[in-house]
Amino acid sequence: MQYLVHHMVQESAFRQPDREALVDDEERISYSVAAARACSLGNALSELGVRRGDRVAVQLRPGVQLATSLLAIGFADAAFVPIHHGLFPEQVAHILRDSGASAFVCEQEYLDSIDGHLQDLEELRVAIVAQSGLPGSDAPRPVSGVAVHGLAELMRQGGQGYACSNIGKDLAAILYTSGSTGRPKGVMLSHHNLITGAEIVAEYLSIDQSDRILAALPFSFDAGLNQLTTAVLKGATTVTLNFRFGREVVRKLVDERISGLAGVPSLWNLLSRNSSGLGKQALPALRYITNTGGAMPQNVLAELRQKLPQTEVFLMYGLTEAFRSTYLPPEQLDLRPTSMGKAIPNTEILVVNEAGGLCGPGEVGELVHHGPTVSMGYWRHPELTQRVLRPHPVRHAGGNATGPVCYSGDLVRMDDEGYLYFVGRRDNQIKSSGFRISPTEVEDVICNLPNVSQSAVVGAPDDVLGQHLVAFVIPREGSELEVHEVTGHCAAKLPRHMVPKRVELVSELPATSSGKVDYPALRDRLPTQLLDASRGGL
Amino acid sequence: MTQLSITAGAVREWVYQTFPAAREREVGDTDSLLDSGIIDSMGTLEVVDFLETGFGVEVLDDEMVADHFDSIHSISMFVDGKRAQNGSDGS
Repeated sequence: MQYLVHHMVQESAFRQPDREALVDDEERISYSVAAARACSLGNALSELGVRRGDRVAVQLRPGVQLATSLLAIGFADAAFVPIHHGLFPEQVAHILRDSGASAFVCEQEYLDSIDGHLQDLEELRVAIVAQSGLPGSDAPRPVSGVAVHGLAELMRQGGQGYACSNIGKDLAAILYTSGSTGRPKGVMLSHHNLITGAEIVAEYLSIDQSDRILAALPFSFDAGLNQLTTAVLKGATTVTLNFRFGREVVRKLVDERISGLAGVPSLWNLLSRNSSGLGKQALPALRYITNTGGAMPQNVLAELRQKLPQTEVFLMYGLTEAFRSTYLPPEQLDLRPTSMGKAIPNTEILVVNEAGGLCGPGEVGELVHHGPTVSMGYWRHPELTQRVLRPHPVRHAGGNATGPVCYSGDLVRMDDEGYLYFVGRRDNQIKSSGFRISPTEVEDVICNLPNVSQSAVVGAPDDVLGQHLVAFVIPREGSELEVHEVTGHCAAKLPRHMVPKRVELVSELPATSSGKVDYPALRDRLPTQLLDASRGGL
Repeated sequence: MTQLSITAGAVREWVYQTFPAAREREVGDTDSLLDSGIIDSMGTLEVVDFLETGFGVEVLDDEMVADHFDSIHSISMFVDGKRAQNGSDGS
């Protein structure tokens, strides 16, 4: 019986030891090797003092070692915390501190870059570093206060797995994501959440062991992690890649005979351009593609369908707090190309109005998710958890309403046949290139500039990214602030998706009656300026 | 001033404006923009749009390679090479 995440890799290794499990540019490993390496690393973590319920953070470039490390941590009865490889030291340190990770599996350079933060990370005891493969770089370099070990070595030691005490309801992973305010928060997922999420998605995408999934989305996202978990559950192959050009993705689709690809709108935009080479060569193996992380623009969708006539397109929607929520069956695409579909299997999706009642067709309300993938809430934020995970809004005819439901904060409407359409956010959260961004994270960085008095950041519609950031900044009185000082400062402190594309220097910000920044009023200022932004390129 | 240095000046100014991390880190003309992560996959699209609208250079599909986009210098070389080619074509 599979009730812990690592059971999936053990089971697949038992059923088909020689089938290709994980592929990157350096190596290709079978399920038996993947399971042995994961087990070996899990044992090593236990021997290094990682205990049941501990958090182990993982920040590695996309590849076989990353996937194997995530699968290993359950063997130590610990929970994994994947950190996007593009995050900057400040954000990485925040996740390490907030999660209280006792171990950090990472590239040596990532460890070096957080050296200045290590003294604040009281719970971090062990770092396990990936060797770059360059000659002379094999010995991990020591850092202050933390025992450093080599990742490849710990994966080679072998041995049987220790007996686990965890059960399916226990914490398996924490995914960090932003809300509408403050710094990123950790969403807690149980083993049961992850395995059920994999079963549900594998069911409606009809994934089996013959599939070869190209993991273009990072494993630190719910949908990205799902690429790996569905493949491992079904004994399919996960191919990872690092890419900068659309054609690199297309080459992988061809060379690796990929059958499934998940993406966010910005990836589809990249691939729909002629320069990607998509459509020049038939891709008979490519069975399906899925979109999540924002609505697929209609022109991009049309272009993809024309270039990939034999491939099924699944439009999906999910939020980390409930893992995955809806999908539009491909046969509905012609009828309702702008819909986000209906509930995934074994899940109930409700549209709830301000009064807490159910909305009628066409009425806009909040999407509420009820099902086995509703997360365990926010790590170390019980009050925030209570706001998002609440009792079921309707007394069921069938009796017991089980467990909390998830209030998404996303406004949607349902058509007469029950298909859902995304309308907007209830709050000020921004989504760009699939990443959730809280305005305050960016505002705090801008306000660290000595010449800045106040700032407010909003999302502006963007054909490629979904939204891009626009910062309104009030310079400190008497100072001379240049726009490039703001963008340059942000670029030094924040990953690119969080750097404002436009900065407006203003003398005041609209305020609500309670004196807070009136974000809707600021967004209303945007449309006239968008013409300008669109002339600037993307 | 050579043609290349004129082009490089315009490219540098645009790169600094569009990718503020380049200005912040005082990236030199031959420093890699791709390896340093300053230009990511979305950034490569912006470079293509800039070359097409700013210089009237058409970037062919098989020219979308790292060699042409890796630094301010390589972008400038690519632009001048394309313009020279177009000139000799009489187009």
